[in-house]
Amino acid sequence: MSNKVFAFVALAVALALAAVTQLIPNEYFFTAAYTVLLFVILATAWNILGGYTGYVNFGSAAFFAIGAYTTVFFYNAFKAPLAVGIVAGTLVAGLAGLGLGYLTLRLRGVFFAIASLALAVVLYVFVVNWDYVGGARGAYVLQPREIPFGMPRYIHLIYSVQLLMAAFALVVARAIEKSTMGRGLAAIRDDELAAECSGVPTLRLKIFSTMVSCALMGMAGTTFPYYLSYIEPSSAFSLSYAVNSIAMPLIGGMMSWMGPLIGAVLLGTVQQVVQVTVSSAWNLLIVGVLLVLFVTLAPNGIMGWVDAWRRRKGR
Amino acid sequence: MLGNGVVGISRRVLGALVIGFALSGTALAQQPLKIGFGMSLTGPLAGNGKAALISMQIWAEDVNAKGGLLGRKVELVYYDDQTNPATVPSLYSKLLDVDKVDLVVSGYGTAVIAPAMPLMMQRNMAFMGLFGLNVNSKFKYDRYFQIMPAGPDPAVDWTRGYFEAAMALNPKPGTVALVGADAEYPHLALEGARVHVKRLGLKVVYDKTYPPNTVDYSPIVRAIQATNPDLVYLASYPPDSAGMVRAANEVGLKTRMFGGGLVGPQFAALKTQLGPLLNGVINYEAYAPDINRKFPFLDQFLAKYQGRAVKEGVDPLGFYLPPYAYAMMQVLEQAIKATGGLDQAKLADYMHAYEFDTYVGKVRFARNGEWSVPRMLTVQYHGIGGNDLEQWTKPGHVTVLYPNEYKTGAVKAPYHENKK
Repeated sequence: MSNKVFAFVALAVALALAAVTQLIPNEYFFTAAYTVLLFVILATAWNILGGYTGYVNFGSAAFFAIGAYTTVFFYNAFKAPLAVGIVAGTLVAGLAGLGLGYLTLRLRGVFFAIASLALAVVLYVFVVNWDYVGGARGAYVLQPREIPFGMPRYIHLIYSVQLLMAAFALVVARAIEKSTMGRGLAAIRDDELAAECSGVPTLRLKIFSTMVSCALMGMAGTTFPYYLSYIEPSSAFSLSYAVNSIAMPLIGGMMSWMGPLIGAVLLGTVQQVVQVTVSSAWNLLIVGVLLVLFVTLAPNGIMGWVDAWRRRKGR
Repeated sequence: MLGNGVVGISRRVLGALVIGFALSGTALAQQPLKIGFGMSLTGPLAGNGKAALISMQIWAEDVNAKGGLLGRKVELVYYDDQTNPATVPSLYSKLLDVDKVDLVVSGYGTAVIAPAMPLMMQRNMAFMGLFGLNVNSKFKYDRYFQIMPAGPDPAVDWTRGYFEAAMALNPKPGTVALVGADAEYPHLALEGARVHVKRLGLKVVYDKTYPPNTVDYSPIVRAIQATNPDLVYLASYPPDSAGMVRAANEVGLKTRMFGGGLVGPQFAALKTQLGPLLNGVINYEAYAPDINRKFPFLDQFLAKYQGRAVKEGVDPLGFYLPPYAYAMMQVLEQAIKATGGLDQAKLADYMHAYEFDTYVGKVRFARNGEWSVPRMLTVQYHGIGGNDLEQWTKPGHVTVLYPNEYKTGAVKAPYHENKK
């Protein structure tokens, strides 16, 4: 399937799922779906650098927060609408990713992972001390009373927007995976030195994938202040975003765009159900147990397991 | 014959219908009245959240023992919000749309109250908040009410007692150090403190915040000591309250007044953990045994709460948050009884218009939903001899400095003299 056809299919699916807002009166569905979609974007974004390129980024929460706080900044400065926040947040997070790439991508393996974690800490301290975006006290972003496109509630709007953004992230991830660039990234993942010797422009590709990955993570955060109406640093920089954005591709499979989607939908839904049935405290435990299970039993995730099963069947 | 037969069948059908309606009416009357909320049962505020939950459960049992509300048994439907604001919108939409609760109240603290507000405003729900600080300043929602006695201007009223007590010192203080954690509550308290500092013409010699996960607080206290302030105002959460109090004792902080806005010493855990280290510290409390005659209503609550709290392993004193959690439910109960239904507009109108008689005393709400008159006490701890809990239940260790109608003594200054 060509990228164009896939983009049309993704858009059609997103619009069809958005149309559900007119059919289901239950708002809980949309708040839960919003969270799952948020993780779809984060996991897909993380996988562009972590899965395709093999560079583990522990700073997902920082880029998510950059997107969220860019929205807060534009809201405070100009009472800018959500669309402005989305575009600006994506660009700012992308630029931050470019900066991170330039500064750290000469580091490899665990050193890059530590550098990305350090960036999250630095940004957290920066936001805590920046009073204009609420600082440690947090900031209020009020949902507008007028809801466009005839949506009954504001949650329907941000759910629909989140759907379109998730579709966009998947299209971008798939396009990168299927392109020459994707093969270059895979070469870096398998053996960076060999890739460099074979003429793959490793640094340029790594910087590009970091920038795209971080921009998409930022995009995921842009609707978050409108979803909560109140945002403060500890929730925006929550460890759960970093943990989930790594765990979901690991469980779904890191080699293709579909892995993070499957991982995020599966794990995100389980977490939402567990939260209101068993106990919230079990959420991270479930993530941990699933991670251990998959790392030991299916190290290439669900997609890897399916591929292996297909190969066995084909013999 | 046919006519009689038809009439007979019609009568039987009609009779069956009447009985059916009567039965369904009874069933409706017997359906529980559901009150939903999220509560911090895990996460950083879990200890307080669990104590609040027990209070609310005791209230539900009390109400049900008296026959329920509107002839219906009360049922609490609650979920763990993990002290995480991101969980709040989905939990409250589940409560309203799936669990079909009749009423909702908030979880514990500003961070989990604020994310529930948009949904409450969309649904026009009357919404009681549990210890939120100034949440309604942005939303300006006329059906929001808050049970913490912070007063109509929480940021400023919260810190008033400390500075009123300070200005009663002789000679009057001239300099002040402001210090607190980089978190939501300390920043708000420090903002209020700055208003008073400006109003009273005090000179600020130190005004800094520290990361909440700081490990060693001694350098902070030493830096404050280097400026030699007359007053040190501290706004902190439990871990750093403990850290700062320990550091002040280790370094031997010399100042006339120290403390003001420490979260933590209101609960038994920190009272017993710090023990004599709290001598001389100024702080806020919702209750002090020295003025128990002015809080006769509280004894009724404590009699129900304390035994159960010990069993469940939560705050065994129950002087601070638990009675207010119970009182929050009492406000709703009285409003429901008075209006005779669950009409949210009528409930909100009633809550604005009338005074409520609760286990934390008389409660009347201002237009913004906060207490119309602040009643948080400014106190000084002294004469604490060890780490046992018993001494905190008896008069003589907590002097009330403000408000004046509850005052039991003056500040014992300087702070370090209280250590002798």
